[in-house]
Amino acid sequence: MAHPSTPQPYKYTLAERLYLPLLSGMWVTLRHFIGNVFGRRKSYTIQYPEERRGYSPRFRGHHILTSRPDGSLRCVACFLCATACPAECIHIEAGEHPDVNIEKYPVVYDIDMLRCVFCGYCVDACPEEAIIMSNNYDMAFFDRASSIVTKDELQKPFTYDPAQLGYRPRYPEEDAQRAQAREQVRAGTLDLVAEARRRHGEAQDTSAASAS
Amino acid sequence: MIGESWVTTTVDKLEEWGQNNSLWPLPFGTACCAIEFMSVVSSHYDMARFGYEVVRFSPRQSDVMIVAGTITDKMGPTLKRIYEQMPDPKWVVSMGACACSGGFYRAYHVMQGIDEIVPVDVYVPGCPPTPEGLMYGILQLKEKIKRDTRRRLKEKRADSDDSGSAAA
Amino acid sequence: MPTATIPALPLLEDYPEGSVLPVEGADQPTWIVRREVLSRLALELRDNPETQFDLMLDLCGVDYPDRDERFEAVYHLYSLPRGERLRLKVPLTEADPVLPSLIDVWSACDWFEREAWDMFGIRFEGHPNLRRLLTHEAFQGHPLRKDYDPARRWILTEDKIYRPDPQPPGGDTDDDIFERMTINIGPSHPAMHGTFRVVACLDGEIIVASEVEIGYLHRCFEKMSETHTWQQVIPYTDRLNYCSSFINNVAYCRGVEQLLGIEPPPKAVWARTILSEFSRIMDHCVCNGTTLVDTGALTNFWYMFQPREEIYGLLEACCGARLTVSACRIGGLLQELPPDFEARCRNLLETIPAFISDVDKLITKNRIWLDRSVGVAAISGEEAVNRGWTGPCLRAAGVAYDVRKAHPYDLYDTVDFEVPVFQGGDVNDRFRVRMAEIEQSLSIIRQLLDRGMPEGGFIVDDPHVALPPKEDAYTQMEAMIYHFKLIMDGIQVPPGELYSMVEGANGELGFYIISDGSGKPYRIKVRPPCFPLMATFSRLMNGGTLSDAIATLGGLNVIAGELER
Ligand code: SF4
Ligand code: SF4
Ligand code: SF4
Repeated sequence: MAHPSTPQPYKYTLAERLYLPLLSGMWVTLRHFIGNVFGRRKSYTIQYPEERRGYSPRFRGHHILTSRPDGSLRCVACFLCATACPAECIHIEAGEHPDVNIEKYPVVYDIDMLRCVFCGYCVDACPEEAIIMSNNYDMAFFDRASSIVTKDELQKPFTYDPAQLGYRPRYPEEDAQRAQAREQVRAGTLDLVAEARRRHGEAQDTSAASAS
Repeated sequence: MIGESWVTTTVDKLEEWGQNNSLWPLPFGTACCAIEFMSVVSSHYDMARFGYEVVRFSPRQSDVMIVAGTITDKMGPTLKRIYEQMPDPKWVVSMGACACSGGFYRAYHVMQGIDEIVPVDVYVPGCPPTPEGLMYGILQLKEKIKRDTRRRLKEKRADSDDSGSAAA
Repeated sequence: MPTATIPALPLLEDYPEGSVLPVEGADQPTWIVRREVLSRLALELRDNPETQFDLMLDLCGVDYPDRDERFEAVYHLYSLPRGERLRLKVPLTEADPVLPSLIDVWSACDWFEREAWDMFGIRFEGHPNLRRLLTHEAFQGHPLRKDYDPARRWILTEDKIYRPDPQPPGGDTDDDIFERMTINIGPSHPAMHGTFRVVACLDGEIIVASEVEIGYLHRCFEKMSETHTWQQVIPYTDRLNYCSSFINNVAYCRGVEQLLGIEPPPKAVWARTILSEFSRIMDHCVCNGTTLVDTGALTNFWYMFQPREEIYGLLEACCGARLTVSACRIGGLLQELPPDFEARCRNLLETIPAFISDVDKLITKNRIWLDRSVGVAAISGEEAVNRGWTGPCLRAAGVAYDVRKAHPYDLYDTVDFEVPVFQGGDVNDRFRVRMAEIEQSLSIIRQLLDRGMPEGGFIVDDPHVALPPKEDAYTQMEAMIYHFKLIMDGIQVPPGELYSMVEGANGELGFYIISDGSGKPYRIKVRPPCFPLMATFSRLMNGGTLSDAIATLGGLNVIAGELER
């Protein structure tokens, strides 16, 4: 099988010679123009920051360190996340936990946000569901020192809003619940802050109850 | 005395307002982040809403350089040269893990953050940052410019007070 | 791992005993060749009607510090007429790493040889311009040698920058030398996509000589993959061809799966095929969109980018990131598909054609576009093959080679699709091939959706490869142990080597993977489809005007991340 040895370029048709197809092209742009100006169609632009794109509940954004009901970190400083991280951006220092049932806890848990590539490997690796991701992408730093996010910031409670959770181990039955929460927030019938407080209070109640 | 400082302050404020609301970006895009930068200027996000109306590829006509993508050691001198060609005042936004710190390329040919060679005003993490993430960074830059002007004005006022009292 | 049979060797008689040794049990026919006979053998392999290896796919080096003959140069050949592959390995000593250059046999060798020199210090005798290709001018040493520290950097200063001065052959005897002008474009120039540098010598408006300099985005993918575990390489593969990250994921994971001898479950294969096709559409949209922008038709860019945003939405729903998806895992997918996966896909199938047809109406028959593109940077099929082209650009030159048809993988042998071929080999036909392929991709997706989502898991049920389900890892001891082992030690891939290929958006995307059983890849070489395209760019530019050059570069769809890795 010989390959073609000379290129045979496209041959113009008569209409093309006469620039006729240009008319249909102009009609396309005109149609878009009319559509945009007279608002037959909604505009594609998302009016950030007032309006946000609805990212999926799997979005890989800012990390969250989850807590136990008593408010302490779930993390047991097992270093699996740090091992799995391709960017080597997690820094952990382990300490002995006063509670004998829990072996260790992280004295230091830092993520260098500027190194992180948001691949989600740390979430996959964690055996305690101690690290998950939110769908928060509003991050910017003025210097490199402040980009090292410490465990206190990673634990910030905004992240308990079900609608703001991102990439994390999946339990399919939660999907519906989360979608509902999203809808409610959009419709304004759910106040996330109040809800988070309520949950937090509940959690404390139960932990207090179990302690007594 | 008071009249003079009032005039300069107002002019400074006006200048700041002008600068802040019409920053012309110079995209220094090299890699994947540049693709995401394209999304920011295209219809879905439309950066022009923040005064980043005219994307200029010429350093002489731009105010803020957005470094989007990995900068290698081979690219380093070029980046520095372009930064030096920009007229003052100028700002640098570093978009994405690579430009900020080298990201997960701890490698023999990748610059470990562009702050090795140029000063950076805002770092936007992400790999690539979402378009909104970059816009957030841009809004932060606005805040920073405002803050800087305010500080400059304060210093100026303090200076003129000093010189005023010295003259008296 | 599949064991290939060694083809009949009608030519072995001519060569001295022991200079061409077939290797048993490799994934594809492999010969160990002594360098003394290499040039002769290469010429014969190309021209012998029994072999006809007309396409030189890839040349790379491998370093084995423990061996007597430390280096190995590996050639991957392909025969288009016969659809067969062949791997040649040439061992070389550290003291004398010299090979004859094969540029005269396959022009494709040009840049590949420069790369091998740059990365390993293998010298090619007879190469006209054996300079460093990817690393910078002040770089010392050869970074892919095993004894090179991955983080050892060298700083390039302004005075060391190479200043090319291309001159047309034949020198300047005429007095028209006064008309000559040398201009430098890039590396930071929008028309050069931010990462290439072209120095062109212009005679009036015509480019008479040119030189292309790359390496401004050399991110050391291959060295990085040697320092990470098999699973951790996946995020790096995203960033090769970042316009269609997903295809890279698939290509890499398929390679490793073959080495492990596992099959991903049907659902994963199904989703991989669909998402690969969506990625291909996206890539073609970006390519055609930017080509049109480069030629001044800005409107189309917005139309072309719209479907892309929609596809981003789908990918993001599957894996949580828009561009750098990391959506595959070795053995399957990252996560279960979202519940509305099929609905979303169907929705996309309905919306994409409208945008594509807008562009089609605006451009395909538009004489202004035709005048800019017909006959521009034309290349014949014969030459394109010799220069190592694959993919849409080769099909635009009249050669119907598509990995999906020639060596079907995933579900491509079960769907009906055509391979669009055009004869012009110019910018216009590259554009038309891509437009036609978008149609075909849509039809593939439609067929697969009609078949329905297969039942079953999304990743293999093998605790040595895939992490156990999270619920189990939290509660069951055994699963927990596997989980720890897999994260701490990584996947244990048995020793072996393999070349695995898929049809990337730009052509054959190959991964040549060598494992030594240590838990990390020993060597991964990517066969970047746009590498031979870019190597030809200088040849395509010469004789045209500067504005043609810019349209040409757009149409080649060179993605720096993949080109320079
Ligand atoms: S998301 Fe990836 S890069 Fe970021 S901390 Fe987790 S593992 Fe590391
Ligand atoms: S893997 Fe989870 S439990 Fe272990 S150190 Fe990381 S966050 Fe903590
Ligand atoms: S930060 Fe990530 S997306 Fe951006 S250039 Fe680097 S690798 Fe690419």
